[in-house]
Amino acid sequence: MAKFDVDGDLVRKLASLLEETGLGEIEFEIENCRIRVARPGATVSAVAPVPAGPAAVADPVAAPTPKDGSEPGSVTSPMVGTIYLSPAPDEPPFARLGDAVAAGQTLMLVEAMKTFNEIKATKAGTLKELLVESGQPVEYGEVLAIIG
Amino acid sequence: MIDVALPADCRIVALDSIASTNDEAKTLAAAGAAPWTVVWGREQTKGRGRQGHDWASPVGNLYMSIILRPAGPATRIMQLGFATGLAVADGIAACAPALPAVALKWPNDVLLEGRKLSGILLESASEAGGSLAWLVVGIGVNVASHPDRPGLVATSLHAAGAAVEVETLLYAIVARQATWLDRWQREGFAPVRQAWLSRAANLGSDVVVRTPSGELRGRFVDLDGDGAMLLDTVEGRRVINSGDVFPAAA
Repeated sequence: MAKFDVDGDLVRKLASLLEETGLGEIEFEIENCRIRVARPGATVSAVAPVPAGPAAVADPVAAPTPKDGSEPGSVTSPMVGTIYLSPAPDEPPFARLGDAVAAGQTLMLVEAMKTFNEIKATKAGTLKELLVESGQPVEYGEVLAIIG
Repeated sequence: MIDVALPADCRIVALDSIASTNDEAKTLAAAGAAPWTVVWGREQTKGRGRQGHDWASPVGNLYMSIILRPAGPATRIMQLGFATGLAVADGIAACAPALPAVALKWPNDVLLEGRKLSGILLESASEAGGSLAWLVVGIGVNVASHPDRPGLVATSLHAAGAAVEVETLLYAIVARQATWLDRWQREGFAPVRQAWLSRAANLGSDVVVRTPSGELRGRFVDLDGDGAMLLDTVEGRRVINSGDVFPAAA
């Protein structure tokens, strides 16, 4: 599979279109490359492997979430940082979508400046929505998951 | 000799061997242990750094984890990583006054002449409302030995010629941690930031930062009001919250 350079401007443009239109995702295809930009909860995929590079910094998955945390069972980020869904890269995630979770159970970590903060389930229930991915930057108050 | 005043409620749990002092401290914290409970292991059998990285932990080095419960939201808890770096730097300076001053590498490594001497791992938990439940400050200092493997530039106090005792260093660092925490609680991040910048490694230099979403190159120009790295890149100034910093190749 041929490598291609991700066009950061294109991704940014698609991400802002996504916001503007309120769509869930946009797929763009040109020649042999296809880029899909989706809102939190979905994944960003490309036909060819996405090389790590500055283009990836404008993480389109980080587009503002329409959820404001008022939904019952919302779990929000207490700080600006980066999400880790598992304790280590080669270990299983703390919790998966659809899992039954107990109140106070660790769902994920948010890290800033190497301080790792455990995000706990606010109540017992089912992990109904998981709105972030490992490596994703999050803002203060951003909704990370919803327990139903 | 050093003469230190530990916090009045300091309690030291000394263990000959423990899997990980941070894990033990987190268990104690979750079970309600009081602030200034310090878990000290003479060795760790499963010592770890961030995200599952191993931290070699033979007998002879310092491995400790301090439980803290500063009041307030978790929002600014990362600022205490910088306060901890200062406490480690001050503690080492008190125990080994003949050594050159250590440098602090963003966000929280301690270097002696460019070599890693100490690592810090902060782990915390927040309540549903966003307030901080507990903070565990994990500190490892290479006293008698340091790991020697390709790609890792490390040193120890003994290797640098300072015959420091682990226990003495423990007391010195805990005492300074109390001083810096108190200062942070009374005066905020400003004095911590200022002191940290005066000891910063790579400040004003070109660096490569590996972030979770890619690699950035630029000049490390300052810290923002929360401790994020301000990096001047060809595309403008970036605010870095997460990443590993490397000096840029000349």
